[in-house]
Amino acid sequence: MGEEALDPVIHTQARLRIMTTLTALPDGDRLTFTRLQSLLDASAGNLSTHLRRLEDAGYVQVVKTHQGRIPSTQVGATRTGRRAFKDYVAQLRALLTPPTDPTDAQEER
Amino acid sequence: MVEDTPLDPAASAALIAEQRAKVEAAVEVDGRILFVAWGVAWLLGFGLLWAVDVDPPLVDIPRGMGLTVFFALLVAAMAVTAVHLARKARGVRGTSALQGAMYGWSWFLAFAGVGALGYALHRDGASEQVSGMVMMTVSTLVVGSLYMADGAIWGERAQFTLGAWILVATIIAVVAGAPNMLLVMSLAGGGGMLAAAGVEATRRGRPRVL
Repeated sequence: MGEEALDPVIHTQARLRIMTTLTALPDGDRLTFTRLQSLLDASAGNLSTHLRRLEDAGYVQVVKTHQGRIPSTQVGATRTGRRAFKDYVAQLRALLTPPTDPTDAQEER
Repeated sequence: MVEDTPLDPAASAALIAEQRAKVEAAVEVDGRILFVAWGVAWLLGFGLLWAVDVDPPLVDIPRGMGLTVFFALLVAAMAVTAVHLARKARGVRGTSALQGAMYGWSWFLAFAGVGALGYALHRDGASEQVSGMVMMTVSTLVVGSLYMADGAIWGERAQFTLGAWILVATIIAVVAGAPNMLLVMSLAGGGGMLAAAGVEATRRGRPRVL
């Protein structure tokens, strides 16, 4: 398995950081766009572009609500997104583990 | 956010570790801060009340002044808690925000009840000694029970153990009676919270892997 097997939706610097941030929160949690932006040091435009890509893949959900009269955009990782990120991390780990004698593989867990 | 430079697996792993640490530092409640704030408040507050009540007094100030200092310490710990939680929860919505709000209301209503009890004891002419004992016991029972529930729900052993420890200390304190019950809560209660801060510090010191 080579690097090309890594999910191209996640495997970019910007989107990997977004997915890492959102999956670091417990399932069912969302971040406001502003807080997400500050945790990523991203520009709003750049963040929106990448979020749209992730949303199209079904990895994140963007919720637009109102808090009182102030509009609020909230972003959370979906189940699909969490699974995709987990798979991505597992593949990464496999790529980073030097190939060993198959009998040693048992110890790796 | 840098526009997409190609990533190699090692760079990806480093990026995940770095970003994860950043998010956790930003949104996770730091138990050390809360345990130290409350541990110090209990240690000094209950300790001072004991030193005022013991015969002969170790600290020669009117009881009312001792109580004022005690409540000031509790208010300070409450302020530290409120500011810390608000900073961590900023911009976080959904499940844990709702759970946090529900848990916060449990504390608020329980202590509103404790306050009402204090008023009723005073109104119905309970002696200073009986009021003092009832107020201390009910308060620390609420704290211990909510800590245990918190620990049970989130699977946090340290929090659960601390709650159980506070309840046991309360039982010992109430049997000991005034004024030494105050010393028990100061040392065992306040000391227990400071120990919990130490446990939390050790837990945080452990490295994490990808």
